[in-house]
Amino acid sequence: MEHENDFEQLFKEWQETTRKLMDRFPERKETFQTTSNIEIERLYLPEQLDSTYMEKLGLPGQFPYTRGIQPTMYRARHWTMRQYAGFGSAEETNKRFRYLLDQGQTGLSVAFDLPTQIGYDSDHSMSKGEVGKVGVAIDSLEDMEALLKGIPLDKVSTSMTINAPAAVLLAMYIVVAEKQGVSPDKISGTIQNDILKEYIARGTYIFPPKPSMRLITDIFAYCTENVPRWNTISISGYHIREAGATAAQELAFTIANGKAYVEAALETGLDIDQFAPRLAFFFNAHNVFFEEIAKFRAARRMWAKIMKETYHAKNPKSWQLRFHTQTGGSTLTAQQPDNNIVRVTVQALSAILGGTQSLHTNSRDEALALPTEESARIALRTQQILANESGVADTVDPLAGSYFVETLTDELEKEAHRYLDKIKELGGAVSAVEQGYMQREIHHTAYETQKAIEKGDQIVVGMNAYQLDDEPKPELHRLDPELSANQVRKLGKVRSKRDQQRASAQLESLRRAAQASENLMPHIVECVRTYCTIGEICGVLREEFGEYTGI
Amino acid sequence: MKKKIRVLIAKPGLDGHDRGALIISQALRDYGMEVIYTGLRQTPEQIVASAVQEDVDAIGLSCLSGAHNELFPEIVKGLKAQGAGDIIVIGGGVIPWEDIPFLEEQGIKKIFTPGTPSIETAKYIEKVVCQRDGISLENPVDLIEKVDHIGIAVQSLDESLPFYLDILQLKLVGIEEVASESVKVAFIDAGNVKLELLEPISQSSPIHSFLEKRGSGIHHVALGVGNIQERIDEIKKKGIRMIHNAPKPGAGGASIAFMHPKSTNGVLYELCEKPSKERL
Repeated sequence: MEHENDFEQLFKEWQETTRKLMDRFPERKETFQTTSNIEIERLYLPEQLDSTYMEKLGLPGQFPYTRGIQPTMYRARHWTMRQYAGFGSAEETNKRFRYLLDQGQTGLSVAFDLPTQIGYDSDHSMSKGEVGKVGVAIDSLEDMEALLKGIPLDKVSTSMTINAPAAVLLAMYIVVAEKQGVSPDKISGTIQNDILKEYIARGTYIFPPKPSMRLITDIFAYCTENVPRWNTISISGYHIREAGATAAQELAFTIANGKAYVEAALETGLDIDQFAPRLAFFFNAHNVFFEEIAKFRAARRMWAKIMKETYHAKNPKSWQLRFHTQTGGSTLTAQQPDNNIVRVTVQALSAILGGTQSLHTNSRDEALALPTEESARIALRTQQILANESGVADTVDPLAGSYFVETLTDELEKEAHRYLDKIKELGGAVSAVEQGYMQREIHHTAYETQKAIEKGDQIVVGMNAYQLDDEPKPELHRLDPELSANQVRKLGKVRSKRDQQRASAQLESLRRAAQASENLMPHIVECVRTYCTIGEICGVLREEFGEYTGI
Repeated sequence: MKKKIRVLIAKPGLDGHDRGALIISQALRDYGMEVIYTGLRQTPEQIVASAVQEDVDAIGLSCLSGAHNELFPEIVKGLKAQGAGDIIVIGGGVIPWEDIPFLEEQGIKKIFTPGTPSIETAKYIEKVVCQRDGISLENPVDLIEKVDHIGIAVQSLDESLPFYLDILQLKLVGIEEVASESVKVAFIDAGNVKLELLEPISQSSPIHSFLEKRGSGIHHVALGVGNIQERIDEIKKKGIRMIHNAPKPGAGGASIAFMHPKSTNGVLYELCEKPSKERL
């Protein structure tokens, strides 16, 4: 293998498979050119392919995927522009979804309100003030039916930011699809379903780690059999970074969590290549441009090696780290909010140069309130400008071979491995989380960052430098104040309309399954079908599993 | 005064974003306060109970989900019902500016917007707690922040400016007329402090009489303060005579008041509060 000719041969094979792939998925244009009519090639390589290059970078679409998971990347298709949306009632959000689909969007991304995310019904005392605030309120199947009304679930893929009660929302989605005449094997989408980062950073946990991990592996097993096109988890560094982590910590803790999910699934007897191709990732695109690009590249290489070498996955799809990216919310300032458009642009560009599969760009006013429609549109336009005007999508992994970027990629990988070793010493990610290790590391970094900003060592434009004396007060998004009362009324009607005996019986069978070690998914699907509410379903599980109360 | 201030940092509502709450907890501790952090998902009742039980001086509420209008006032009400209405409640998080007046009306003492340095929050808590308890601070908070500018009386701006701009090569910030004092004012940036050249535009101007009596030269020193009316009251309490007992409009949109030179050893001092910058 050490001969140059062998590498040339590999490259020729790559060209051949790429050509075949292009027959099925042609590129966006016949040829790509600069303004000066210089032809832009699909892939740029060192003059001589050698073993160091092939081991560290390889060819796009091939192990270790440093240069991307597809051979043609954005020359065939731009990343998916997937803007996270959801507000107020299911009916209102449904209208927005249908508008977006009419505009040619093919993927939906649902934001749920906090009571839904924590498994409380809208009329629970804990839900006060929160109903419909940060996303759509879903109490029962009826709300989900309204949310997805008129949307062809065999054609649209739906991403749902839902974690602790992910099983319940997925069950609702499955039942709504069935009612539309779409069988579970035809639907596609993603649930976030990443509980470990909830304990570490995001805070919408319900149950303690052990039963939470069981719910996750139950979903893996159920979907492998019944919902094969569903991405069963989106392992998220995003919120870890938002909580204050460095790029290396984001990378390391995300991969550590990913390993924990893989190990939990293997322990239940699943085969690695059955579930690993449905694992997805979710990263943050933060400010420090080249480090972010390096982080995405390092993540792909690390995951590929771990899957192949540690867990002996055989299917190349199991090696590929596919990821969604969102620009860094905590980098936005409340001061001079229009400046945030520029921040978002730079961050989005790093995600694109890092080879993301899909991207959410934040709106300029997110440090102030939920985005207005105008702000949300500018955020989407930012992606469209990058995709269609800048030319950055015209060649694969354009920064490969940059001394700086390659060094950063190597260094981040090394640094992340140091953290992974430490986490291993602590007994793995679940145990490290229980001991508060990641939480402490992140808090330490967050506090140091805050001090640096307050001392002026770290400049935040418009906030601690270049301030305006008179900040204009922008127009902000307001929610319907009647929303909560309406939702509570609707919920009451559902409870009085349904077959109460059947609903109670289903909840009892869920309880028995929870006490035993049966897969919970089929029981949750039946509960949902009889219009048991999310609060009732999670209530039974709370009684059986207990609640996590933080450290 | 060596009062150890006790603060409860609390997260009402369901959002799990506690980066801000954790940072402010640590910053207040580093400032010397005792801080209790409640953790996530606290109901107003739980927060009130913790505050009473821990006998805190102040509560800092952090909410990023948009539930502040419903939850913050509940806490103030609950404290009053428990006879603990003297506990000072402040808040922060993602709170739209248009909600702030409502929250303050409901008894939340102050809302801090994103980007507020944590030291400002600490000093604010210290100040209001000490005010409440009638304790004067050893190191008064922001009594005098800095020398804001030095006022220099001149016969003519046109004749004086070339010295500052051409010879000393300083930068002109702006020229404006202050009707209340009948003067035309030029502000010059001298690095850490501004020079304020004052030219009278009528015979009624105090600068006119100053020039008549003493000729051109240093007229006054302006001390930058926050909350000028409070400063005036404090200074008066200490037996200093003020020329102005209430602030009046000065150059650059500032509020100003002069101390009487008879009680300040012959120097004319101005107190000067700059507009629009968020003050504590």
